[in-house]
Amino acid sequence: MGVICFDRPELSDARQLVESQGLRFEPHFDDLVGLFEMGQLVACGARSGYALKMLAIAPSHQGTDALGTLVTRLMLSALSAGHDTVFVFTQARNVGSFEALNFRLLVTHGEVALLEHGPGLKEYLASHASLITEGQNGAIVINGNPFTLGHLYLAEFAARQVDRLYLFVVREDVSVFPFAVRFRLAEEATSHLPNVTVLDTSRYAVSAGTFPNYFLKRLDEAAPAQMQIDVRLFAERLAPCFHVASRFAGQETLCPTTAAYNRIMAEVLPAQGIQFVELPRIEAGGLPICATRVRRAFADGDVATLRDLVPPATLRFMKSPPAHELAERLRTDRKEV
Amino acid sequence: MQIKCKASAGTMQSSDLMVVVEPSDTLQVEIESTVKKQYEHLIRARITSVLGELGVSAGRIQVSDRGALDYAIAARIEAAIRRAAGE
Repeated sequence: MGVICFDRPELSDARQLVESQGLRFEPHFDDLVGLFEMGQLVACGARSGYALKMLAIAPSHQGTDALGTLVTRLMLSALSAGHDTVFVFTQARNVGSFEALNFRLLVTHGEVALLEHGPGLKEYLASHASLITEGQNGAIVINGNPFTLGHLYLAEFAARQVDRLYLFVVREDVSVFPFAVRFRLAEEATSHLPNVTVLDTSRYAVSAGTFPNYFLKRLDEAAPAQMQIDVRLFAERLAPCFHVASRFAGQETLCPTTAAYNRIMAEVLPAQGIQFVELPRIEAGGLPICATRVRRAFADGDVATLRDLVPPATLRFMKSPPAHELAERLRTDRKEV
Repeated sequence: MQIKCKASAGTMQSSDLMVVVEPSDTLQVEIESTVKKQYEHLIRARITSVLGELGVSAGRIQVSDRGALDYAIAARIEAAIRRAAGE
């Protein structure tokens, strides 16, 4: 038995194998490996960033160590891409097979489960231990692409209700504004609020590992399960460590993804003992403030509108030279749509 | 021997282990094992002795073990360290 990497002609065999195991074949991945016996594909698996996916083993080879072979190859490729920790989204009945490879269960719900291998959550929590304070704390998770007056209103409101407010900024770098900028703007805009701590979500909230659909333009049928996993991971693993008793979010009327995510928070969080508070959006010029509107005005160079939509920190950044390239990219993207 | 870069050795197959080593100011040995409850102390002892023989005093060593025998542990650790030292 040997592992070889795929080239084109074998893709259709892989698709067939993946689909025969009740999984969806997703054409986007960084790496796809297959295990062959006598020229026949008997197992395959893929990696997209730090997420392993489409791990499928032909019935004839289940019960062998095919999974160990595949995962070895994918872990090495993850390591060379800079990922110490890898995630796998799988069916709940496969949890044992992954635990036998030293994966740890992060969260499970219904028929799906999310596991990780590597320093992962333990390291994330340890590295944030000094920021954790006891009390009735609150949490907000934002992408902040970029930070708006809407985010600020939400943070100010929430900060008044809790002992400490953890403002988690989505770590995944797939938005127009890079993580470092989104994080810094969130910090600067809330620096007048002494009980607000800005944190990064790492892989543990609204990430490519927990909720890959968030980063797609349209939702697919896997989205509801991913949102359940994402919200439950927050409730079961993050909230207890950060003493989070309430999670806050802005009401969503425009974006169906965020609206659906809010509905799932409203359903799941209270059952886990976490209060969910949804605030109506504040408005400017008769319309709700949202980051999409901000990006549009930013691309148009409409400073007068931006002044009504974003805090001074964000406006300062938007006027700075590094922002010019981002505005240019937004304009290019718009032309392509 | 000094750990100068990130390196790995081994596999995730049954009866083997995968080792990842990288530079660090202190010596940290992190062990995950399917037989952690029974044998973590023995695995750690073997790793510590190999590190001693190779004169490694700093670095982060992550081990994911699937019930490897002690000579396999020693060999994988040594291979990873030698790679990380640029040999």
